[in-house]
Amino acid sequence: MQVSFHIPGPLRSFTENRSLVQLEVKANANLLDALQYLFAAFPGLRDRVLTESGEVRRHVNFFVGNENVRYTGGLSTPIAAASEISIVPAISGG
Amino acid sequence: MIGQKLDHYTILSQLGEGGMGVVYRARDEVLNRDVALKLLAPGTVDKVGRGHLLREAQTASSLSHPNICTIHQVGQTGDDFYVVMELIEGRSLTDLHSATGLSMETVSRYGAQIADALAHAHGRGIVHRDLKGSNVMITPEGRVKVLDFGLATRLEREEISELTLSYDDLESKLVGTLPYMAPEVLRGQKGDHLSDLWSLGILLYEAAAGRLPFLGSTGFEVSAAILREPLPPLPPSVPHGLAGLIQRCLMKERVERYQQASEVRAALEALQGAILQSRHPSEETRGPRTLVLRGMQHLTVKNGDVLLLVGTNKGAFLLKSSRDRSRWDVAGPYFHGQGVYSMAYDGRNGLHRLWLSTNSAIWGTFLRSSDDFGRSWTNPLEASIRFPAETGASLRNIWQLCLGRDDEPGTLYCGVEPAALFASHDGGESWSLSRSLYDHPHRPRWTPSNGGLFLHTIVPDPTNRARNYVAISAGGVYRTEDSGASWQARNAGVRVVFMPEKYPEFGQCVHKIVLHESRPARLFLQNHWGLYRSDNHGDSWRDIARGVPSDFGFTMVMHPHDPDCVYILPVESDEFRCTPEGKLRVYRTRNAGGSWEALERGLPQKGAYETVLRDAMSPDTLDPAGLYFGTRSGKLYASRDEGKSWKKIVEGLPQIVCVKAAVIQMDGAPGPRPLSKAKSTAKRKSQSTRSSKPRKRK
Repeated sequence: MQVSFHIPGPLRSFTENRSLVQLEVKANANLLDALQYLFAAFPGLRDRVLTESGEVRRHVNFFVGNENVRYTGGLSTPIAAASEISIVPAISGG
Repeated sequence: MIGQKLDHYTILSQLGEGGMGVVYRARDEVLNRDVALKLLAPGTVDKVGRGHLLREAQTASSLSHPNICTIHQVGQTGDDFYVVMELIEGRSLTDLHSATGLSMETVSRYGAQIADALAHAHGRGIVHRDLKGSNVMITPEGRVKVLDFGLATRLEREEISELTLSYDDLESKLVGTLPYMAPEVLRGQKGDHLSDLWSLGILLYEAAAGRLPFLGSTGFEVSAAILREPLPPLPPSVPHGLAGLIQRCLMKERVERYQQASEVRAALEALQGAILQSRHPSEETRGPRTLVLRGMQHLTVKNGDVLLLVGTNKGAFLLKSSRDRSRWDVAGPYFHGQGVYSMAYDGRNGLHRLWLSTNSAIWGTFLRSSDDFGRSWTNPLEASIRFPAETGASLRNIWQLCLGRDDEPGTLYCGVEPAALFASHDGGESWSLSRSLYDHPHRPRWTPSNGGLFLHTIVPDPTNRARNYVAISAGGVYRTEDSGASWQARNAGVRVVFMPEKYPEFGQCVHKIVLHESRPARLFLQNHWGLYRSDNHGDSWRDIARGVPSDFGFTMVMHPHDPDCVYILPVESDEFRCTPEGKLRVYRTRNAGGSWEALERGLPQKGAYETVLRDAMSPDTLDPAGLYFGTRSGKLYASRDEGKSWKKIVEGLPQIVCVKAAVIQMDGAPGPRPLSKAKSTAKRKSQSTRSSKPRKRK
């Protein structure tokens, strides 16, 4: 099944400046499964959005559609065909 | 046969000839279209049995997939047994191979389509059994069509023997098949979906490398190679990901292969994107990708220039001056928006390498280097400093970058948060965690300081390769005497104001330690409250805070040539972390802590509530020594007369957290005046007793 990833500006140096990446991922994938396809295609992304222990970085948010996955099961959130997955940096300052 | 009719098909021309029979272009007179008609050789039919062949072909004809050549009909007229298929105009994969192989993008694109075709067929219980380059057609639109699904017959053990013996006979009907055969098939087992995946691996290898992996001049040699020889390495132009994938298809043990064609397809599809972004074949092997910073004023650095590396909480700046240190060029910000808490200049190995760590609150911490004074920087795909998975820890920041000794030019250290030490012995290519320090029994009782729990200072003993010191907030000073195999707390005599027990073994909030290479047994320490000196490698410490307005402070710097001379910049207290009385003053001792003097000429003495952080002061190595410090308010001050007088050289920067000075020595060029330590020290002493008048500037 195909899913779309929306890539934020600071990470586009790793996606050939693409803001939208569409990939075919396995059926019944969860968010982590889908992300593995994205990371395999664009290896620089992995360590920018996940820590080395595999957790989502504190100020990185993933949305599936309009839902922040923090409230829908995190990386285990199920992904349906044609899902739109957005990587969204938290609004933070300092 | 040409011109003859089989049922309602008129044979037009011969397209090819294979092991199983001859393929013709034929006209379907009913549906008015051209088709491919394979007339099976009578031997094939006899061997397998009509009924069986018919059933297999009928099953195969049930496959409907864009990458599988469609079987329209299986028929029999008299003794002629034939299969009518979709006519595919194009070239076989074998015909497309060049001596150097196909582009990696093409290999993964075609490979994914073949794997998808296999996944579709395997899912319906149909195995190909004769996948090879000549069975894969590529249409002019670039679409893959796999031919002859399910039509290959099972070879009996005797036939395999015959085949391996007769391979040198080019007339052999199976000449094209042997190099693609899986080891288990050569051993006489029935080919299954895993044997198909082996064949796919061979096909991918051939497409990527432009040659078959297992070769021989006879069938025996080829099959011996398949059964026993390791896979020959792919050319370096094949990306690691693709090479790994091919290797996994070609595991001689079936259980070690991919277990499903869909897995191969997913992996190939995933690779396609990765390959698309690195079209230059060498890029994969070149290591970290490079970030070239355009549209920015960069520095041009000449031999003998003094370089200042300035890290702020929102990016890095580089400043450069000629030896007289009177005028500074400023470049930056580099990595604006990211915290640069550690920087270093490494002039070893004939390089002029700048190191820095970038810390993004969102995207994590990465170590980067530049070999062209900041024009381009490494942009690593993966973080090189990472905690092993079993620790469950993750890197929060890199606080210190420290070069190894001069006689170990490949060695670098990083001190990080959470408190840990990483070392590299290959010039920063790979890093490893010091496990003995990470697993230290004291760790559970270290307490985070205001800035977190972090290792911020690394001091290698210049005369003893086995001895290093580190400082942890708040854990204290630790020393190794055995190259890091074990670490001992070295805090005796250092007071902990904030704990009930004032002199514990560890738990001190040390802010900085320094030593001079000519007196390695002696260390100086700026504590969270307290100034100390040790004369015995840190075994014990004594208070040296006499004549300072506050013994609280962060930074501490050793004079480059005088082992008795140390600089600090006191702040009022841990509550009010600003310079006392609103006066910005550097304090200096020239008698190893016996007394301290204020250095304030050129520094604001009214309303200057400044803070100078632990790594925000640095000396250069010239004579007279230059000193530089940056404030949290973004002002950078420089002295070119060892601190007697100061000048603000930049202001308006973000919060300065790191200042490192370096004198650039280009290869072969006459360097700055070399100074023997003894001479330098003597000269220093004589100057200090002569006059407090500033030296004339050149």
